[in-house]
Amino acid sequence: MNDMSNIQMSPRESNVISIIRSHINRNLKNRLTHLGHILASLLLLGSLLGAEKTTLHLWHPMPAPSRAVLNDLVAEYEAQHPDISVHLLYKENEEVRMAYMSATGFTEGGPDLLYGPSDFTGALVEMEIVKPLESFFSEAELAAFDPKGLTWYQGHLYQIGDELGNHLALVYNKRLFAEVGLNRPPETMQELIEFGKKLTIDKDGDGDIDQYGLVWNFTEPFFFMPFYASFGGWVMDADQNPTLNNEAAVKAFQFVRDMRDIHKIIPVECDYDIADSKFNTGEAGMLINGAWSWAKYMDSPHVDFGLAVLPINDETGLYPAPMIATKGYYMNPYLSGEREKQVIDLMKFLTSAHAQFEYASRLATIPTRLEVRERPEIAEDPIIMTSIEQVSHGKAMPISPQMRAIWDAMRPAYQNVLGGSMTPEAGAAYQQELAVQKVAELYEGQDADKDAVNITAILVYLAGLLLALWALYKLFVAFILPLMRGVPGVQVQESRFGVLMVAPAALFIFGVVVYPFFYNLVISFSNMGLTTVNDWRIIGLAQYGKVLTDSQFYYFFLKTIIWTVVNVVLHVIFGVMLAMLLNRPLPGKGIIRVLLILPWAVPSYITALTWRGMFNIDYGAVNIILNKFFGIEPISWLIDPFNAFVAVIITNVWLGIPFMMIIALGGVQSIPQELYEAASIDGASPWQQFRKITLPLLKPVMIPAITLGIVWTFNNINVVWLVSNGGQPGDQTHILVSFVYRAAFNLYRYGYAAAFSFMIFLMLAVFSVKFMQKNKATETAY
Amino acid sequence: MKKTSPLQYIMIYIALFLAVAWSIFPILRVITISIRPGDNLLTESLALIPDDWTFDNYIKLFTDHPFGRWIWNSILVTITVVVTGVALASTAGYALSRFRFPGRDASLLSLLVTQMFPATMLLLPLFIMLSSLHLINTYLGLIVIYSSTALPFCVWQMKGYYDTIPYSLEEAARIDGASRFMAFYKIILPLASPALVITALFSFMSAWTEYIVAAQVLWYKEMFTLPIGLKSFQANMTTEWGLYAAGAMIVSLPAIALFLFLTKYLIGGLTLGSVKG
Repeated sequence: MNDMSNIQMSPRESNVISIIRSHINRNLKNRLTHLGHILASLLLLGSLLGAEKTTLHLWHPMPAPSRAVLNDLVAEYEAQHPDISVHLLYKENEEVRMAYMSATGFTEGGPDLLYGPSDFTGALVEMEIVKPLESFFSEAELAAFDPKGLTWYQGHLYQIGDELGNHLALVYNKRLFAEVGLNRPPETMQELIEFGKKLTIDKDGDGDIDQYGLVWNFTEPFFFMPFYASFGGWVMDADQNPTLNNEAAVKAFQFVRDMRDIHKIIPVECDYDIADSKFNTGEAGMLINGAWSWAKYMDSPHVDFGLAVLPINDETGLYPAPMIATKGYYMNPYLSGEREKQVIDLMKFLTSAHAQFEYASRLATIPTRLEVRERPEIAEDPIIMTSIEQVSHGKAMPISPQMRAIWDAMRPAYQNVLGGSMTPEAGAAYQQELAVQKVAELYEGQDADKDAVNITAILVYLAGLLLALWALYKLFVAFILPLMRGVPGVQVQESRFGVLMVAPAALFIFGVVVYPFFYNLVISFSNMGLTTVNDWRIIGLAQYGKVLTDSQFYYFFLKTIIWTVVNVVLHVIFGVMLAMLLNRPLPGKGIIRVLLILPWAVPSYITALTWRGMFNIDYGAVNIILNKFFGIEPISWLIDPFNAFVAVIITNVWLGIPFMMIIALGGVQSIPQELYEAASIDGASPWQQFRKITLPLLKPVMIPAITLGIVWTFNNINVVWLVSNGGQPGDQTHILVSFVYRAAFNLYRYGYAAAFSFMIFLMLAVFSVKFMQKNKATETAY
Repeated sequence: MKKTSPLQYIMIYIALFLAVAWSIFPILRVITISIRPGDNLLTESLALIPDDWTFDNYIKLFTDHPFGRWIWNSILVTITVVVTGVALASTAGYALSRFRFPGRDASLLSLLVTQMFPATMLLLPLFIMLSSLHLINTYLGLIVIYSSTALPFCVWQMKGYYDTIPYSLEEAARIDGASRFMAFYKIILPLASPALVITALFSFMSAWTEYIVAAQVLWYKEMFTLPIGLKSFQANMTTEWGLYAAGAMIVSLPAIALFLFLTKYLIGGLTLGSVKG
């Protein structure tokens, strides 16, 4: 690197060198801080003295089987290029998108390469965080690709695909087909239903179905799409306007619903994991699933794997058209010079014929390079042949950002139809209306007048400045001043000591919170959204206005209040009750106490997911227990909006009781026994004793815990999000925090979300200050 | 309180039995899934131990994934966080309990106020901040954030506990010539050990189980902490449930063990408010 310093460099290039340097430094620092691995740092030092190694970062959402191929390819590449090490980081599809956007869009950092489906393109381009690639490839190089494998958008090439994928097809279990005398997959939708009926079997005659004809993740719009297309519908027109309210939508809704309710060939409740698990264990004859999943079923001992195209719609004569997404590589826009060359080289390797052949031969994916597709091992592979045929029926997934708004609009409407709260007609109208609204939200802020003298901006900044000055003044009066001179009535040393003792903790807490807090405050006055990430401006109170005029805000506010009150009340009641039961000599008390605390000890993201599983209509323990012991018919916990909300509350009640129980136990144990004895002598009943002695003496202990409990519960996004799988059904199982999270990260409404968060914050702050003042929670005992 | 009659005992035990069953059942389900072979997620059986149980998933964690490394990383981060958390909370709580300096009430309130902003919205600016401080891919950034996560609660609860310790103890020490700090360090701190244990427990939980911030900050698989390692088994469409459940048990075990040993400290030590007695 030293010999480069005497070459004249553009600022961009020197910037790159500093990036590389800081990368290396950072690497070094990481390993050095890692106390347990002194050896590793010695090795690194050794390698620094020799050749400098460049680490290239690649983030990807590949599932385990593809990940294995990628690992092998990267190992091969590293062997060929000793000066380069490629670091892979796996994240889920949505998470990899969000993480890339935060890292690249907001800090100009991020990985060198991003792998993902082509529908990332629109949003990445709008945010200006992806580099056009056409100048790095010759025409001949590009001509070797299937045009579908190269993602162009607004005249530039942004993604080089290595696979045409994500398309759904019909997977079937030949063994189960043979058992009912079938020897081929269905070719029409009539046959699909007919075969489905044959394959739907109640083996032990107990009235519960043990094997379903067809399973798939049918509540997700992506998995519904092929049927919509088979009735002649599509998500948007040529101008990217949503086209969701039509006869095709009504008929397709009807069709899926009939399969469930009239033909009864699909389970009432079926998400991805259930469908996958049922098919994989031989409990379902057919499955509609995407190319990414097939490899797994080929290996399953319960499945004799068969693949077929989705059967033709008899009524329209159209084939279902699954959405096809090109999967491939995007490049970070902040690269240049040597590093850029290295990254391009890596990208070329990973999309080369050799790499694509590896994927195709091991996982039966469809290569984007035509030469690979023509190789006999690939061309004659029956799975790839079917897969290619299915792709020929498919349609490319739109890559414009509007698609995200359309998914978000379809999901609630479709799930409402499935849940029975909307007719297919109403559902079609509703999804169109929502889609139009959400597309507008996606582009909000774009029309703000850019040249006008911005008085609101000046006002906001001025107000911010005043606020900051006021905070500094307060800080000065509260902390600095007492350090310098005494406070009347208190010794100088005394208060100085007090402040010094508080200061470190205060620094930590506010060091972490202050910047994020003010960042959100500023953003909440801005128009920051998808198209304005890089040139957002202060627009005043408009976002707050939007929040306050949004009926959803009030709806979810009400829901949040119900959620908080029900939860905290039940936590306290059960907590105090258990504490009262345990507050006596009792053999085995110790072990009982520990068992009762367990829900607190296990991380809540684990137990919340477990509860979600337990609420499954067929396989969930809750329904099984209700049915076995109480003879209650299965309750559809997760597809009915009201039940889903109850399910979320049950989970959180379970989680929160131990905390209140412990607090209450500490409280009741400190109440002197003599008080009860005296009361007994006076003839007070146990209930009177509880009301006159226990409750009043418990109150000072419980009030702070309740205050905290309210704040925690009000903002507890984790449980709601995990149990309802992000707000399902129909985006209704939300509290304010989960709703705002969805708005911010699904439709990129950063300004709106920040304003929304401030409304939440203000409401909570006002409430708890009042609540605490009323109950004097900050008072000490002395 | 009157003597408990045998009939009452029976009722109490029945009630407690139901409560225990309710509280441990979901956790038993996680264990069951973790010892089921393959990805067989679904079953109508309520049996705790499936007929074809196996420890394959646990073995796979360590053979196919750097799970041992992740455990080690988590231990490193967690210990640092616990030490920092205890040091900060014990001093701040003491000052808030004993001194009436201006800004004291404001401090107490603002501690609570920091809990009120939706945490998910703080993530993006937090990331920007860490990135500009070059704390991405370091444990330092994580440690600072984790230490301050549980801190407001811990300060509150330390203060609550100090409130129950009579002021006269320090006064006696001061009269004997101890400095303010010595009186705190030698007399009060040992007396507050139940509360310190709880502060340690809370700091432990916030560092040991966190994955959202960690997933943003750490880019190297070798640097992962246990929870993000665990998270990497969870994929959009292809979650490896068996592995996930086994990993979940391993994450939970130390936490469960700690709660097991510390229950007696928890009760009575966890005093957010004033308990006189």
